[in-house]
Amino acid sequence: MKRRDFLKVVGASILSLSFIGVGALPTSASATTPALEEALRKHLGVGLSAIKETNQITIKAPTIAESGANVPIEVSSTIPIDKVEALYIFVDQNPNPFVAQVEMSPLNGEVYFATRIRMGNTSPVRAILKLKDGSLLMAHKEVKVTVGGCG
Amino acid sequence: MSDIGRAVVRVPKEVKKGEVATIRLVIIHPMETGLRKDPKTGQTIPAHYINRVEFYFNDKLFSRINNTPGISQNPYFAINFKPTESGTLKIVYEDNKGGKWEQSVQITVA
Repeated sequence: MKRRDFLKVVGASILSLSFIGVGALPTSASATTPALEEALRKHLGVGLSAIKETNQITIKAPTIAESGANVPIEVSSTIPIDKVEALYIFVDQNPNPFVAQVEMSPLNGEVYFATRIRMGNTSPVRAILKLKDGSLLMAHKEVKVTVGGCG
Repeated sequence: MSDIGRAVVRVPKEVKKGEVATIRLVIIHPMETGLRKDPKTGQTIPAHYINRVEFYFNDKLFSRINNTPGISQNPYFAINFKPTESGTLKIVYEDNKGGKWEQSVQITVA
């Protein structure tokens, strides 16, 4: 093979590889990761594609987190508390995407949960409500992290 | 590190009937993930974290948080609560190494 041809082939393969690389990154909220799928199936019994997005759940979190070690999040919902069984928090890009489950009952009055979480990387934060009828509803918010906090 | 397990609980002592109150607590705890290495020895620091917080009102469990070290150091939690009668709010929390603590607050519903 001539040197020029060789460079062409190498160049083309690098280009195509980089495209694959970009395509494989979970940049959108509908994209899932193997770790997230595993965590969702373990805790909820289904994968991401089976969970409906809703605007009845609100997540308050910073768009850009100063430190991944300490990201404040606040989840509330207009769904009546007597229909709710539990709230789940997942962070797609964490080594362990499952963060917390909050079991609730009518004495909670309304769906509300606030905490501070660790984030290793920029990632969607997901709040999923499991209702008593077995259905699952989700909201998500993308949080940019400049300094990871899982180490 | 004898402060581990100490918690500050904030909740209104008086709640108006029909109103929702917020229970906030911060627990002093390292929340070790089990992924971190000691910079001196290079050895992995074992996981040590709060993994459960239970909320009781008049000895009836009404809410429970099951969590991982995905929660930050010195964890902060807040949930809502709508008492219909006066009574005792008890918060029981434990870690993965068997540490278990509790705190109680009297709540008056008027």
